[in-house]
Amino acid sequence: MQQTAKTLMVCLFIAALMGSVACSKKNPPPAAYDTNAGQEMEEADLGAGEFRSPAEIDPALAAIFQNILFGFDQYSLTPQARAILDGIGAWMKNNPAKLVLIEGHTDERGTYEYNLALGDRRANSAKTYLTQLGIDAARIYTISYGEERPVAMGSNEAAWAKNRRGEFKIK
Amino acid sequence: MHMRCAAVFITACLIVSHPGTSACAKVYIDINAPSATRVPIIIPPFQNTGSEPDTHKLSTGMASIISADLEFSGLFQIIDPKLLNEAHLRGVTRNEINWDSLSVVGAEAIVTGVFAISGNRINIEMRLFDAVQGRFIMGKKYSGTVPEYRRISHRFANEVFKELTGAPGMFETGIVFVMQTGGNKELYYCDYDGGNQRRLTTLNSLALSPCVSPDGSRVAFTSYRDGNPDLYVMNLAGGRIEKISSKKGINISPDFSPDGGKIALTLSPKDGNSEIFALDVQRRTLERITDHRATDVSPSWSPDGRQMAFVSSRSGNPQIFINTLADRSVRRVTFGRGNYNTSPAWSPRGDRIAYAGLIDGRFNIHTIAPDGSRYRQLTAGQGNNEDPSWSPDGRYITFSSNRTGRKEIYIMRADGTGQKKITVGSGDKTDPAWAPLPGN
Repeated sequence: MQQTAKTLMVCLFIAALMGSVACSKKNPPPAAYDTNAGQEMEEADLGAGEFRSPAEIDPALAAIFQNILFGFDQYSLTPQARAILDGIGAWMKNNPAKLVLIEGHTDERGTYEYNLALGDRRANSAKTYLTQLGIDAARIYTISYGEERPVAMGSNEAAWAKNRRGEFKIK
Repeated sequence: MHMRCAAVFITACLIVSHPGTSACAKVYIDINAPSATRVPIIIPPFQNTGSEPDTHKLSTGMASIISADLEFSGLFQIIDPKLLNEAHLRGVTRNEINWDSLSVVGAEAIVTGVFAISGNRINIEMRLFDAVQGRFIMGKKYSGTVPEYRRISHRFANEVFKELTGAPGMFETGIVFVMQTGGNKELYYCDYDGGNQRRLTTLNSLALSPCVSPDGSRVAFTSYRDGNPDLYVMNLAGGRIEKISSKKGINISPDFSPDGGKIALTLSPKDGNSEIFALDVQRRTLERITDHRATDVSPSWSPDGRQMAFVSSRSGNPQIFINTLADRSVRRVTFGRGNYNTSPAWSPRGDRIAYAGLIDGRFNIHTIAPDGSRYRQLTAGQGNNEDPSWSPDGRYITFSSNRTGRKEIYIMRADGTGQKKITVGSGDKTDPAWAPLPGN
């Protein structure tokens, strides 16, 4: 797959940056799964560094790719989130070569680990909705940052509400 | 990587008093008694018998490290040497010690020490006496480099602890934690008391959730080094880092199995639904532990390796559950106390699970028995307290707290007493993992 090449590039780039850190030269053999694993799992391939924020590409895109917001400990989509995703879905249909990365974020409350899982849920809620609109799942990447990348500082509901979000990047 | 060199080059030998008076196996403190009385012990400043000056203040430095170790154990009452006339504190051997003055201040044990500095090296002799009977119990000679004085002091504190309680001490253990550095998070290490703080990783990324292998040789952690939250293992001795899980989605919350052969972790194989797996470190095979549409995260093995505590939102909000590995049956542990309970850490003794629970808007550390009984709140009224991790002997817990306004690493006894901040410097510090030393 082309993913192998991409992973290798990322790897070499990092290795060049950091000299001393060991980095495997090729992908490890696929992990074996026991029979109750249920389904195959893909190796991560993100190339997150190549995705850019919509506003950076074109200010007009920022109006389409607005952050979607979530309730505390929730990953269900609000009507406003669905409306934003409808707009993003329409844009993706008109720009079939473009890929979208959805970042899942949480507020600072709760543990890092639970919030990483919650952020993953949020990003995947948005992804699932976009695929239901007919967007090819292969064009949508997800990543969770949990509580690690807040947009609003402060320990109050106003800041928390802004931080419980899905954020979009394009390439 | 420097951690082990220090341990290797300290040489020690037993100081034996004349035959016939060597230590018998009397246990002075029953550490399992519900209310063990504290042994009053005095540790005067050590005597510099060499010709070189004590420029590093080792005299009081070593005595205070041993005092702090024993005090933190909760089994000793440290008697302030200033209560005694300085002339009465100079005695080092049985014949020199002023026993009458010790009985006046109520000391039942005394540690004495002499040292000599020669360039970058020190030679140290330390002795432990029963002050009630005026009897020599045990002594050790150490030689090492000057910067090793902390480790040598901790090692002798372990000897004292073992001699008086019959149980091994853990004063030579360390703590791995996460520190915010600019926009990144890197792994750091310090001695259990905060000494020798130093950086372990320079990945210029987010490092999260470290977990130390039971033999103390490896750290498993999550890093975004290559973009995705992947799982890595670092060899503490050489600093070598290897990526061991990079599934699509999250590869987080590692916990080494008691035999060190497996790592329990959280993956999200489908639609962001996180599940717990066990990864065989050698064979790289994955075994699925949980299978539920709710969020499952943060596994912690029981010390016999047969069960796993974890967090699940399957009852509507995050609670602590236990999975019995033989049949994958799941039961809930936390009921009726808060609707956000996370970060389970199963005690190495097996009888308690520590966790962070949200009550009245604050996170605090609690413990509960695996059957849901014997609930106890350990921290209260001081900021948010999270990320509990047990010491290898199950007597202490390290955790993070923002009670000073910044997130710092703390240690406390397993009953919540003796809470003490151990970290210094700017940058939020979180996610402590207690690290046994190799070979211990």
